[in-house]
Amino acid sequence: MAILEIKQVKKRFGHDVDALDDVSLSVAEGEAVAIIGSSGSGKSTLLRSVNNLERVSGGEIVIDGDVLVHTDESGNVQYPPDREIRRICTKTSMVFQHFNLFPHLSCLENVTLAPVKILKKSKEESAAKARELLEIVGLSQKADSYPDQLSGGQKQRIAIARALAMDPQIMLFDEPTSALDPEITNEVTRVIEDLVRRRMTMLIVTHDMRFARDAASRVVFMDSGRIVEQGPPKQLFEHPESERLQEFIRSYQG
Amino acid sequence: MELDYIMGIMPALIDGTKETLKIFCFTLLFALPLALPISMSAISRFWPLKALAKIYIWVFRGTPLMLQIFFFFYCLPMLTPIKLDRLSTAIFTFVLNYAAYFAEIYRGGIESIDRGQREAAKSLGFSRWQTMYLIIIPQAVRRVIPPVSNEVITLIKDTALVYVIGVPELMKAAKDANNRDVDPTAYFIAALIYLALTFILTMISRQLERRYSRHERKDAV
Repeated sequence: MAILEIKQVKKRFGHDVDALDDVSLSVAEGEAVAIIGSSGSGKSTLLRSVNNLERVSGGEIVIDGDVLVHTDESGNVQYPPDREIRRICTKTSMVFQHFNLFPHLSCLENVTLAPVKILKKSKEESAAKARELLEIVGLSQKADSYPDQLSGGQKQRIAIARALAMDPQIMLFDEPTSALDPEITNEVTRVIEDLVRRRMTMLIVTHDMRFARDAASRVVFMDSGRIVEQGPPKQLFEHPESERLQEFIRSYQG
Repeated sequence: MELDYIMGIMPALIDGTKETLKIFCFTLLFALPLALPISMSAISRFWPLKALAKIYIWVFRGTPLMLQIFFFFYCLPMLTPIKLDRLSTAIFTFVLNYAAYFAEIYRGGIESIDRGQREAAKSLGFSRWQTMYLIIIPQAVRRVIPPVSNEVITLIKDTALVYVIGVPELMKAAKDANNRDVDPTAYFIAALIYLALTFILTMISRQLERRYSRHERKDAV
């Protein structure tokens, strides 16, 4: 059974711009889905809709059996009450392009804040778990440092630890390496690839074609708010069917 | 300027300084916290609350402080059963006036925090209220310290305005001495006292800034 079900989702900004135009996507547990496409293709909007950072204009999103949003027969978009939305959204965790770490908290506090305040875990338990996660992302020595003392790659690894601390069923990555210098993207992609091996369900919006090809179990190509083509990375990159994807891949090969 | 003369007027000036400090301390004590709900209302999504806060801020920042002092001194007893003495009227006016300024500073501080902070908080499952007090306000505090310090220093000087309703603070003490003795020495000493007070406040604000910017230093480990 799919852990994430997106059905005919629409998103309209203003009057006539369709950021998402009838997008349907089903993700099974343990899949690592890379979403590629040029800027403005709607891939980030899709990801943000799953985490309720954007409200959709139509369609349905079901996360692990819970309905985040659906649309009734007369076309009215229905969201549950705020408290219920927050409960459903804790099943997903987001990693942002610009990290968005909390600068007034140490790295350890960044990771423990949500488990303590939202999952109501004890401070000791959360700290122990946080140290484990910092170990996984290779930054246990930075527990007491503040975000502004870290490099971009280190910040993003802390952000990944912070997201993992909520025990999400699905990890959402919104261009996790786009704000990083090319030589340090590796330290972040290594961590994500490690999560792939651990069979973490993930949706990864990325411009890193090497990563999409090597790490993802499925690649989804979006253009003008629609999913144009999807399939295993090998098939998509070696035998792209649509003209639009052929063009897109050529542009990356230079 | 003879030493004997100065010693003679010092007790009155010191008493005046005490009154000045009373107005100053009580104003901060009430205005700094009062400004928080006002600033939160000003950014509220509930429009009647927002409108109310905006009007409040507009009125108190848009009219002279001196006029507000006169207004509350003469009109409050006429329009309401509230009877306040001169000092309390002065403090009451200053609290309302400064809360408006502080509220605007807080609002600016809160709105200056990057949108990504709210998004990260929201995606982790924090409610709007939790996001505000756990993530936005702690960061905004550091940003509002310099502008708040500025206002606090202005406040010390603004207290001089209340001599117009006869509160016996430092300015009035100096003026009385000058009128009585036709000798401006008292003004000179009052100036030194105001300077000493603002100097101390400047030091305190610098300390606070340093304390709250600790986590921003890249070299500290």
